[in-house]
Amino acid sequence: MFSRLRIYYSSIIILTAIFIILLTILFKLQIIEGTEYTLIAEKNYVRIKTVLPLRGEIYDCRYRPIAVNKSSFNLYITLGLVKNREKLIDFIEANFASESSEIDKLLHRNRFRLHQEILLIQNVSYEKMVEISEQMNDYPSLVFKPESMRSYLYNNHFLGYVGKISENEHLQMQNRGYSINSIIGKTGLEKFYEPILKGENGYEVVQVDASGRSLEFFRHNLTKSPVDGSNLILSLDNELQQYIQSIFPEDKNGAVVIMDVRDGGIMAYVSMPEYDPNLFVGTLSSATWNELINNERNPMLDRVIHGSYPPGSVYKPVIASLGLEDSLITAQTKLADCTGGLQIGDRFFKCWFEDGHGSLSVTDAMKYSCDVFFYDLSLLISLERMKEYTRSNHLTVKTGVDLIGERNGFFPDESWYRSNFGKYVGIIGPKVNLAIGQGEILVTPLQICAYYAALANGGKWIRPHLLGKTINSKGTLLFESESKPLPISKSTSDLLDNALYVAVNEKYGTGVASSIKNFRVCGKTGSSENHMGEDTHAWFSGYASWEEPEIAFVVFLENAGHGGSVAAPLARKILLFYNQIRST
Amino acid sequence: MILQLKRIDWTLFILLILLLTVGIFAIYSASTQKVGNDFFSEDFYLRQIVWIIISLVIMLAVLRLPLSLIDLAVVPSYIISLILLLLVLFLPEIKGSHRWIQFSPFNIQPSEIAKLSTLLVLAKVLAKPNLREDQILARAFAIALPPFLLILMEPDLGTALTIMMITFSLLTISDLPLYYLILLVSPILSIVMSFFSIPLFIGYILLLTFVLFKSRLSLLIIGLAGIFNTFIFFFTPMIWNSLKDYQQNRILSFIDPSRDPFGAGYQIIQSKIAIGSGRIMGKGFLLGTQKNLNFLPEHHTDFIFSVIGEETGFLGCIIVMFLFLLLFIRIAKIITKLKQKEFRYTATGILAFLSFQTFVNIGMTLGIVPTTGIPLPFISYGGSNLLINVTAISLILKFLSERSIFK
Repeated sequence: MFSRLRIYYSSIIILTAIFIILLTILFKLQIIEGTEYTLIAEKNYVRIKTVLPLRGEIYDCRYRPIAVNKSSFNLYITLGLVKNREKLIDFIEANFASESSEIDKLLHRNRFRLHQEILLIQNVSYEKMVEISEQMNDYPSLVFKPESMRSYLYNNHFLGYVGKISENEHLQMQNRGYSINSIIGKTGLEKFYEPILKGENGYEVVQVDASGRSLEFFRHNLTKSPVDGSNLILSLDNELQQYIQSIFPEDKNGAVVIMDVRDGGIMAYVSMPEYDPNLFVGTLSSATWNELINNERNPMLDRVIHGSYPPGSVYKPVIASLGLEDSLITAQTKLADCTGGLQIGDRFFKCWFEDGHGSLSVTDAMKYSCDVFFYDLSLLISLERMKEYTRSNHLTVKTGVDLIGERNGFFPDESWYRSNFGKYVGIIGPKVNLAIGQGEILVTPLQICAYYAALANGGKWIRPHLLGKTINSKGTLLFESESKPLPISKSTSDLLDNALYVAVNEKYGTGVASSIKNFRVCGKTGSSENHMGEDTHAWFSGYASWEEPEIAFVVFLENAGHGGSVAAPLARKILLFYNQIRST
Repeated sequence: MILQLKRIDWTLFILLILLLTVGIFAIYSASTQKVGNDFFSEDFYLRQIVWIIISLVIMLAVLRLPLSLIDLAVVPSYIISLILLLLVLFLPEIKGSHRWIQFSPFNIQPSEIAKLSTLLVLAKVLAKPNLREDQILARAFAIALPPFLLILMEPDLGTALTIMMITFSLLTISDLPLYYLILLVSPILSIVMSFFSIPLFIGYILLLTFVLFKSRLSLLIIGLAGIFNTFIFFFTPMIWNSLKDYQQNRILSFIDPSRDPFGAGYQIIQSKIAIGSGRIMGKGFLLGTQKNLNFLPEHHTDFIFSVIGEETGFLGCIIVMFLFLLLFIRIAKIITKLKQKEFRYTATGILAFLSFQTFVNIGMTLGIVPTTGIPLPFISYGGSNLLINVTAISLILKFLSERSIFK
C-alpha cells in the first residue's frame, strides 16, 4: 500500500533520475563529442548509397525470353544545384522531347527533395549523350547514370509494364525499399508479381571525405549486397502465342486463350489489337498516350479479362447441366417443338434457325444449338437459381488469375431489373433470353475458357494462371495450382462431353468447321447479339484431347459474325498448329 | 465568466501552453528548407495550430461539462475505441502499418483514443473499494489486454507498450502487493538481460531474490521464480540463435516497422549527428543543416527532438526537458491533492504515459532506446496524439477544480 505522499516522492525521484540520465547523454553528445559531430555534419562524411537489384526477367515455358533488362543511360537531376530554372527546362525540352509543363510539374512535386537525385529521363541514347556532353558542363544539377531498364520483346497484354513510381505508391511502399526514383510494375504480371520481381536493395557506405574517420566513429558494418529479383517462367508457349497473333484477322478485335486443362496453366493469352508495352517504359509523350486512348479499337483494353461480353450459345452447357442436375430434364426428355421459335405469353422468341428444329433432346439441342429447347427449359428455372448456378460454375465471377484488375462480368437479378426498368417489369422475358446467353449476362473470355477446361476435366475447375515457376539464386519454386469441383455430376459431365463432341464432329453440328481427324475436338459455338455493332460477337470454346484432354480454348471476335463460320475455323488453325508443336 | 479562474491550476496550464508553443516553432523549423537565402515551408505547423485550437476547445468543454456526464462517456468510449482498433486492421496499410483511418484531410489514429479510454476504464474499475488481489489482476488484464493485442497487431509496438505502462502504473498504486508485479515483470527483464552479460544477470537474480524475500514470500515461490528466470535467461539466446535469418529479421522489424535491414542504424546515426552538432548553443532557429539535407527521417514527427537539439543546442534541450520535468512534477503534486481514489488513479496513469512517451522518445533520438515510433507529447506533429494528450491534461485540471465539491 502506498500513501499518497510516497507516490509523490517516488515519482519525483524516478522522473528526476531519468531526467539526469538523459541530460548526461546529451552532455556527452553535444559538449564532449560535439566538435566531432559538427565536423561530420559539415563534411557530411557518411552517405548511404542504395545499390539496386536487377529486376527478375520473364520467360515462356521453354525458357524463351519475353521481358528482359537492357542497359540504359538515365538522366538525374539534383534540385539544390539548379541555377537557372528556365534555361534548364529549355535545355531538357530541346534535347529530350519532354514537355516543359511535365518537367515543371516534376520539379514542383520534388521541391522539398533538394539534395536527392531525382530521375528525370530514362533511356537516353548513347548518341544523344555524346552529342550534349559538352553542354552538360553548364548544368551541374544534371548527371547521367548507367542503369538497367525493362525491355519487352513482344506486344501483348498479360505482361503489363513498369513505370516510374507515383507519389501515392511511394507513400505506401517507401518502407519496402522503394525510393522516389523507383521503377515499379504498373499493371499485368509486372504488377501482380512486383514483390517477387523486385528483389532486395543493397547498400554501400560512400565516403565523401577520404580520412575514414566517420567509419571509425560509428563502427557499423553497413554494407549489404543486393538480392536480384526472381525470374518468372510462365506456362505460356510463346511460339503458340505469336502464331495466334499472326493469324488473327487484322481488322477484328477479340481474344484467344489456350489453357492446359491438366494444371490450369495459360499457354496463350491473346487480346487483339495488342499494344507495345515498351511505350510506357521511360517517358510516354502525351501525343502517344492520346493516340492509344482515343483509338477506336481500344488497344489498351485487355479483352481476355477486362472486357466482358454476352456469351451467347457457349453459355448453353451451363443451362443444360443445371436442368440435368436439378432433375428438370433427363437425357431423353424432349422439350417444346421448335418451329423457328417459341410463343411465350404474348411474345414470340425466335430460334436462330428459321425453319425450326422440331422437338429435341438435350444432346441434340446442344449439337444444333437450338434456342427453343433452352427457352422452354428456362421456364422451369427461377432467375435466382440461374444466377446462383452460373456463379457456382465460376462464370460472372473473377477467376482469380494472376493478373491485375480482372472483371467479374455480370448476371442480373430481379432487383436489378426492378431498379433499372421499373417496378412492374416482367422477369420471364429477360430470363428466357438469359438462358441462351443473350441479354444482360456478361462474361470474360477467360471465364469461358476455364469453364470449358473444367468440362474437359469432368467438372474439376482449375484456377487459370500464367506463372509456371520462379527461379532465383536460391532455387526453383513451382506454382501450385488450385482446383475445386463444379456442381456437375459424373453422368452430366459425360453427357455434356458427348454433346460437345457431336456438335463438332457430326453432320450439321454447329462447330464442324473445327473438326480434325487426328484428335478429338469438343466445342460449342456462340453468336451473341450486342449493342456494340450490327454483327454478332463470334464465340467458339471447347477442348481438345489426344490420349486424354489436354488443352481448352476460347476464340472470341467482337462483332465478326457467327461463331460457327468465323471463330471455329480460326480455332481449327490454332489446334492444328498446337498439334504440330506439342510433340516437338 | 465562463470559468471560475481561481479553480484552475494555472501552473499546469501555462506549462502546457509553453510546450505547445515550443512544438509549433519546432515543427515550423522541421518542415522548412533553406535554399540559398530563401526559406520554403510545408504547412505542417499551420495544421498543428489548428489542432491545438481544436484541443483547447475540447479542454474548455471538459472544464465546463459536469463530471457526471464525462463519467458516462468512459465505458462507451472504450468500446468505440476497441471497434475502431478492429476496423483499422481491415483498412489498407499506410506507411507499412494499419495505424491510421483515413478521413481526408486528416488521419485518425485509433490507438491514441484507446490509450486514454483504456486508462479511464482501468482507473474506474481498480478504484472500487474492497477488491481481492485476484480480482484486481483479473480485471486489469481483462480490460488492458484487448486494446494491447489489437494495437500490437497493427503493428504499433510503441503505443502497445504505452498501454502496458499505464496498466503497470495503476497496479503499482492499487492495493495489489508489490511482489505480484515483480513476479510479472521479472521474466520480461530476464529476456532483455539475456542479450547482455552473465554477471549482470546474476546481480539481477540476487536482487530479485532479496526483494521477494523481503516481501515475506514462501521459499518455494522464491526458488521457483529464480529457477524459472534462470531458465529463460539461458534459453532465450538458444531459441534466438536457432531462428533463421529472416525470422530474426521479422521479429526485429516487428519491434520497429520502419526498420529496413539498414535504415534503423542509419536513422539513429543521423539523429545523433544532428543533436551532437548542435553543441552548446545550437545552430540557430531554422538554420539546422541535417534536416535540410533530408537526412533526418520523420523530422517533424518522431524525430522532432533532433531538430530542437540541432538548432538550439544543449541549452535549448535543457529548457525543453526542464519544462517536461516541471509539468510531470506538477501533475505528481496535484495527485497528492486529489481526494477521490478514481481521480488519483486516472491522474497517475496520465503521468505514467506522458512521462514514458517523453523519455522513450528523447531516448530514441539519442540512440539509447530502440526506435518504436513513439511521438514526443505536445511537440511532435500529429493530431490524434495531441488531442488525446491535451484532453488528458484537461481531465487533471477538471479533477482539481472539482475537488471542493466531491469532498
